[in-house]
Amino acid sequence: MSRIRRPRSMRTAAGLALMLLALASAWLYPHSTQSAYIGPGAGFAFLGSFLTLVAGFFLSLLSLLLWPFRMAWRAAGRRQGFRHARVRKIIFLGLDGLDARLTERLMAEGKLPNLAALAAEGGYRRLRTTCPALSPVAWSTFATGVGPGKHNIFDFLDRSLKSYLPELSSARVGKAERVLRIGRLRIPLTRPPIELRQKSQPFWKILGKQGIGSTILRVPITFPPEKFNGRLLSAMCTPDLKGTQGSFSQFTTRVETAIYENGSRYPLHRVAGGFAGEIEGPQDTFIEGHPVLRIPFRVTVDHGAAELHAQGRRCRLEPGEYTGWQPLSFRTAIGTKAAGMARFLLTETEPEFSIYMSPINIDPERPALPISHPSYYASYLAGLLGTFATLGMAEDTWALNEGAIDEDAFLRQAYDIYAEREAMFLETLESTRRGVVACVFDTSDRIQHMFYRRVGTADGHARTIEEMYCRMDDLVGKIRPFVDRDTALFVLSDHGFCAFRRGVNINAWLSDNGYLHLHNGAREGGAYFEGVDWSRTRAYALGLGGFYLNVEGREAQGIVARGPEAEQLEREIIDKLSALRDSDGAAPIRAVYATRLLYHGPYLDHAPDFMVGYNEGYRASWDGAVGKVSAQILENNPKAWSGDHCVDPALVPGVLFSNRKFDAADPGIEDLAPTALELFGLPVPAWMDGKPLMVR
Amino acid sequence: MLGTNIKIKKDLWTKVKKVAAAGGYSSPEEFVVHVLEREVAKLDDAQSDEEIVRKLKGLGYID
Repeated sequence: MSRIRRPRSMRTAAGLALMLLALASAWLYPHSTQSAYIGPGAGFAFLGSFLTLVAGFFLSLLSLLLWPFRMAWRAAGRRQGFRHARVRKIIFLGLDGLDARLTERLMAEGKLPNLAALAAEGGYRRLRTTCPALSPVAWSTFATGVGPGKHNIFDFLDRSLKSYLPELSSARVGKAERVLRIGRLRIPLTRPPIELRQKSQPFWKILGKQGIGSTILRVPITFPPEKFNGRLLSAMCTPDLKGTQGSFSQFTTRVETAIYENGSRYPLHRVAGGFAGEIEGPQDTFIEGHPVLRIPFRVTVDHGAAELHAQGRRCRLEPGEYTGWQPLSFRTAIGTKAAGMARFLLTETEPEFSIYMSPINIDPERPALPISHPSYYASYLAGLLGTFATLGMAEDTWALNEGAIDEDAFLRQAYDIYAEREAMFLETLESTRRGVVACVFDTSDRIQHMFYRRVGTADGHARTIEEMYCRMDDLVGKIRPFVDRDTALFVLSDHGFCAFRRGVNINAWLSDNGYLHLHNGAREGGAYFEGVDWSRTRAYALGLGGFYLNVEGREAQGIVARGPEAEQLEREIIDKLSALRDSDGAAPIRAVYATRLLYHGPYLDHAPDFMVGYNEGYRASWDGAVGKVSAQILENNPKAWSGDHCVDPALVPGVLFSNRKFDAADPGIEDLAPTALELFGLPVPAWMDGKPLMVR
Repeated sequence: MLGTNIKIKKDLWTKVKKVAAAGGYSSPEEFVVHVLEREVAKLDDAQSDEEIVRKLKGLGYID
């Protein structure tokens, strides 16, 4: 029962803690009398405590005496782990979303010399991605070597089988089970559960059991971090301090009252010598009703120079220049503090005055939630290299979508985050002699999402994506000094990219074709299935990849019987939806897949029943992805978020480079985990779907 | 992860190991946890709509 057993180090820690407690008690209360409570049970209580202290003392003593032997045993285990290894070190450099076609074109034009050299030295292939071609799904497959049916991540979103409401597919942060109520105070007596919903086992955990350590930096779907023999910094889906996936704030004289959207706009009041406002932080869960915690701030303006004053600190605001990470400490009703940090940007000064504030990231030096393993690793990195963004999707795409920052400001932010990550990665490479180092950079994904519409235009950002590819190539050059003859280097991406010009609302299509019904014959519904009549609905869509049948006995209000009825309906929907045409006759959908034929594994019942393989230029519409039935099935995408990869996986393969020659005609992202095990001379577990690349 | 150990009879554990391997689980523990979670989920309270919307806020891919 290794997954649920208290680790050895924790038992040692508990023993030491007991011993310290015993010594402290003896020192603090040498002759104290037990006068506060006399009655039945007092003797038992005293005897119980005494026996605990004695047992704790001897266990601690034993633990200390055995310490050298345990260390020797561990060292022997490490040596044993590398006994059959063909390499001493494996480096995985993940460049999220690096597109195969564009990479190949730029290599042919001589613009990616380091990647081209790597391909010539070892090898290059297009890398088959998962279905759907989404980062949480594909990186989970990278980590575990299994398909979605075995790792349980099918999309960014999953649905509640009871309420049909969406949930994050990767992690769940719950509420404390037991709470003590004192007046308006609410004191949790248990820790709120934080659960990683990804299943199976990452390869670094398997390596760790054999004494081969790994450092895993920002590989998606690692929040909350799980214990293993190594170090890990969590990535995608790590929330901000408010518990959201990233809520920016804009403080502006343009609004009178707060407006809450994907980001929020708050009024900035003119006062003598400047402006005043309030930063909204997390909710105070220690008080009934969970009021929002706030930090008042002031901005002074003197001869054009602006300064932000908050919590006794001040920082200079220069137009167009981000501040460094500013600590923000939110004090709760019981006096505890939630530590966050944010960066500010002065975006306009006259006639209106506006300041952008990034989402409040969890402060890595004092993390409010677990964001690393060991827990002190995030603080260690921050102490060593300076603080860094901790939010899962740290680049603020919504601030650009909603015009709170412009394209230049978005790019600066993205490259600042890139620089933090690069420093972390290079330092880890510097200090790692053997084992695995894996680091994923999101810059490549976010810049393509936000600048795809500029490609081929006369705009100043027409070459921004190309320049980003060159920056990623430079990074490959920077890590080459760490690659010796005993090191295997893999540079890979989880999927490619293409344009997102038109959105397809599958819910609207299901409604038009009689598979989904709204109450009172309405033509449009609200987000999260508002207005849907479940008693007559046979199919519904949620998320970016697929859609579901409303199955009897699975969904709370399911009406489709499993077996022949479901299979007949499945065939009917696939035939009809595949024939969908846009107004110009183009086919938005390349293929519709029945997932019972696509996936295998124990979590198949959690999967959408269908996956939609969109054609290039199309994607699930913004409204459809959140369960809204809109009037139109097809609509233009007006947002800056203009590139995407949520299309048929065959259209967006990733890339795979290595310094080692490898044989594999059609490598898939599931092959990397077994390859790592094979290179270290370990057997590939039978449950893994991937096959080791024949690395020479 | 701190947790609780549960004792299972050897015969049952042998069967659990076989079923877990055949089912594609990475360990018998994963199989046992999955079966238990599936049952416990039937009793779980649903979160409020506002809480769900708040937690998903800011995810770049959805509006």
